[in-house]
Amino acid sequence: MDKVKEYKKEKNPFRLFGYHLAAVGEGIKHFIRPKRMTLMYPEEVQALPTGYRGFIRFYKDLCTGCTMCAMICPADAMKMVTQEGKKYPRINYGRCIFCGFCVDICPVDALKETPIHDVAFTSREQFRFPPDLFNEEFQEEPPLLSKPVKRVKPIIDEDRGVIYVPDEQ
Amino acid sequence: MSILSLILFYLLYPSFFITVIFPGAIFALILLLLMIWFERKAAAFVQMRYGPLYASKRLGGALQLIADAIKYAISEIIIPNGVNPTLYALAPMLLITFAFIPIAVIPVSRIPISGSILSKYFLAFYDPDIKSGLYVGYFVPFNLLLALGLASSYSVFVLLTAWVTNNRFALIGAVREAFLSVSYDVLIVMSALALALEYHTLDIAKIVQSGIPGFIANPIAGVVFFIGVIMGTSRFPFEIVEADTEVVMGPYTEYTGLLYVITMGASYIGTYSFALLYSDLFLGGWAPFSGLPGAVWMTFKAVLVLAFSVFLRSVYGRYRIDQAIRGSWKYVLPAALASIILGLVVGWLWIR
Amino acid sequence: MSSRPSEITISAEGMEVEIIPVEGEINVGPQHPGSGHMRIYVKVNGDIIEDVDMDVGYVHRAVEKLSEIRTYMQIIPLVERPAILDSINMNLGYIMAVEKIMGVEVPERAQYLRSFAAEVNRIASHLYGTGILAIFLGHSTGYMWGFGDREVWVEILQALTGARLTNSYIIPGGVRRDLTPTIKEMTLKAIAYQRKRMAEWRRIFLNNPNIRDRLENVGVMSKENAIKWGAAGPNLRGSGVNYDVRKAEPYAAYDKLDFEVQVYKEGDGYARTLVRFGEIEQSLNMLEQIIKEIPEGPILADRFFKMIPPARVKKWWDGMRRVVFPGYFASFRPPKGEAITRVEASRGELVYYVVSDGSATPYRLRMITPSYRSIYVFKQLCKGSRYPDLVSIYGSLDYFPPEADR
Repeated sequence: MDKVKEYKKEKNPFRLFGYHLAAVGEGIKHFIRPKRMTLMYPEEVQALPTGYRGFIRFYKDLCTGCTMCAMICPADAMKMVTQEGKKYPRINYGRCIFCGFCVDICPVDALKETPIHDVAFTSREQFRFPPDLFNEEFQEEPPLLSKPVKRVKPIIDEDRGVIYVPDEQ
Repeated sequence: MSILSLILFYLLYPSFFITVIFPGAIFALILLLLMIWFERKAAAFVQMRYGPLYASKRLGGALQLIADAIKYAISEIIIPNGVNPTLYALAPMLLITFAFIPIAVIPVSRIPISGSILSKYFLAFYDPDIKSGLYVGYFVPFNLLLALGLASSYSVFVLLTAWVTNNRFALIGAVREAFLSVSYDVLIVMSALALALEYHTLDIAKIVQSGIPGFIANPIAGVVFFIGVIMGTSRFPFEIVEADTEVVMGPYTEYTGLLYVITMGASYIGTYSFALLYSDLFLGGWAPFSGLPGAVWMTFKAVLVLAFSVFLRSVYGRYRIDQAIRGSWKYVLPAALASIILGLVVGWLWIR
Repeated sequence: MSSRPSEITISAEGMEVEIIPVEGEINVGPQHPGSGHMRIYVKVNGDIIEDVDMDVGYVHRAVEKLSEIRTYMQIIPLVERPAILDSINMNLGYIMAVEKIMGVEVPERAQYLRSFAAEVNRIASHLYGTGILAIFLGHSTGYMWGFGDREVWVEILQALTGARLTNSYIIPGGVRRDLTPTIKEMTLKAIAYQRKRMAEWRRIFLNNPNIRDRLENVGVMSKENAIKWGAAGPNLRGSGVNYDVRKAEPYAAYDKLDFEVQVYKEGDGYARTLVRFGEIEQSLNMLEQIIKEIPEGPILADRFFKMIPPARVKKWWDGMRRVVFPGYFASFRPPKGEAITRVEASRGELVYYVVSDGSATPYRLRMITPSYRSIYVFKQLCKGSRYPDLVSIYGSLDYFPPEADR
């Protein structure tokens, strides 16, 4: 049996005053030596690790048309279409929830996760990737910024929490 | 007398220069923007982030507040149905005016008889108590009393803003302000009284000229006065009147656009005018300087007080209204009484 | 003296004060800054709350009904969605129910990994809850710190599962990915960081007299009431009831882990907050134990592992330490049966009841979420407290509207 704890209700005004001072002191300490963990987003982009469940790449030549990916897709994003008498998956990124189930279930590894995640489309039609487009390496348009986007990766630090260092690749 | 020196004479004339230029309206508005920027920036430093940055990256985002001000100024003012439009527009103006008016009677610096650019006003602003000219917007021998009296009228206009908007959250905020004003006014007046007894005067200038900063002569009064100020101008941890998670924005809930900026600025201006008073009473004011450098030195200390009071946002949450009132009557009021006794003793033994 | 009954007269010697109650209603929400995704209809009398009517359901997403037309695998992401910041725990309970129906034995390493992910998730979720509590009290630093520190744990989850929040990490029979040395190192560093931060948290938040005043003696729930009103999780333990599903009915690897259930006697908001902070510390200890003690072995039940084509096993498991799904998962039909499971989610006991009729979709899925049980507690606690305490009680209960609305 674990013991039931009780906390001490502080009534001593001098100790309370001390707690006030400790709180203000902690604030001043952080004010003087800030530990920032901001990712300067549009200028710096987090380089996603391998294995990140981002956009999905399709390899048409490997596909056997087994429809397993469409069956497991929880969001009905993956659907099978018939092309030249063969079934291929097409994906609708407007529905995709990036669970990666289709990648894991594909028996011939015709689907692969890519570490691309932040993409903007201009119309709803562009969400839909027919098999041929799905088959191509996804071309991410660089954002319209004056400076090139820095790719950074997060590192867990014992003092600062998360720090972002430039990605070597 | 050439035209130029005539212009200079009127420009530097204390009643004009202090109220309008420095440390009055124009400086106060610039300071207001800088202080809100500082508040956000300081909070960001404590909170592991950057705060405003992109409006001017080189200045650390200092222009962000100007951008915000422009955005507010050109956004639509929505006047709710069923309110009196005249009073609705007038209330914030009165609020900021009365937050600002104490600056006119707070002495800013001493005018030496010769050698300063201000010496020509020596006779017009002669203070018999300190036997020197006093650089102040309007000189009265009891300026401590007058400044406190004017400052305490601020809360009336908070009630007015709430009452004209006819909003339920605003009314709750107004009731909170009414309850609080009773507590903080007592603290402010009592700690000021302690100093008045200690220095045997109601003239702020004499307190400053005695050469002993009030915080050294009476530290208890200094702390009590500061608590009264942050309570009166709704700074953290006493941001009870406009507690946003409880009563949306308190008395200012219905205000939009420029009128909202005015209501928000009023509390900062109120803190600023109290900070000027604090700098005079407790931090030694302009001493040992005189003339314009004295004014700058005194204002600098006031800005530090203001900066500290806005910095408290990043340390505290807000108290409950009953806790604030109980705390002020139960803990701080005895301290204020103690400060009066301390003032009497010190004034009798040390300060003649 | 007035004869009207609504007027209360307090008379002292020589002075009589008439207090006329001011009654009214305040609509808090759904757009109010202190309401979350719901409308709280507050009847106040002066500053005292007489009654609270909670208009819940603004974020109802029909998870239970939707699960009746989804296959068992497709429900995995679905059950995560109600409490997205607690997705591992939400997922774990459901998977355990499915495993119970199917009679699957989960390998040891997978059990440890489930505990690992659940504890990381618990820390992140408690930090989130503390952040929300802090901003309700006007303490913006606590808010930002909560979300900032949570980022560290979310990074670990991302490295482990491949997604920040929508983890979908736990599958029938095991987990999807293995713990790599890199993640172990990250976690150890994060533990060291969080331990350092706890002292800072104490100074600026927990011991801050301002915060203590707002939470102490606020929303006091006695032990009897906590049981009667059906409080769950940290709220229950804050009232002195020693009940934790991880101890009462150990699942995953909790029977092998050494941890202490945080129980506080007072039952007020501060006790609930202390329970959460204590649990963060216990979770840090548990993570250390898991990293030290985790056995080697498979992470997916043998029964499913054998179904994966050998070429894929070689590529994914031997190469990348992650398992892939056998084709069986695309649409499996568990035998007829029903199962009820409970897990200790971050906000309390989470119950799943799954009925299988032998088809590919469950006949019925019922989830009783801890926040759902907080609704009544919230209503009861608010009665008689002050209006500003509404947000304080709300925050200290760590009520999460989507989880309650499902």
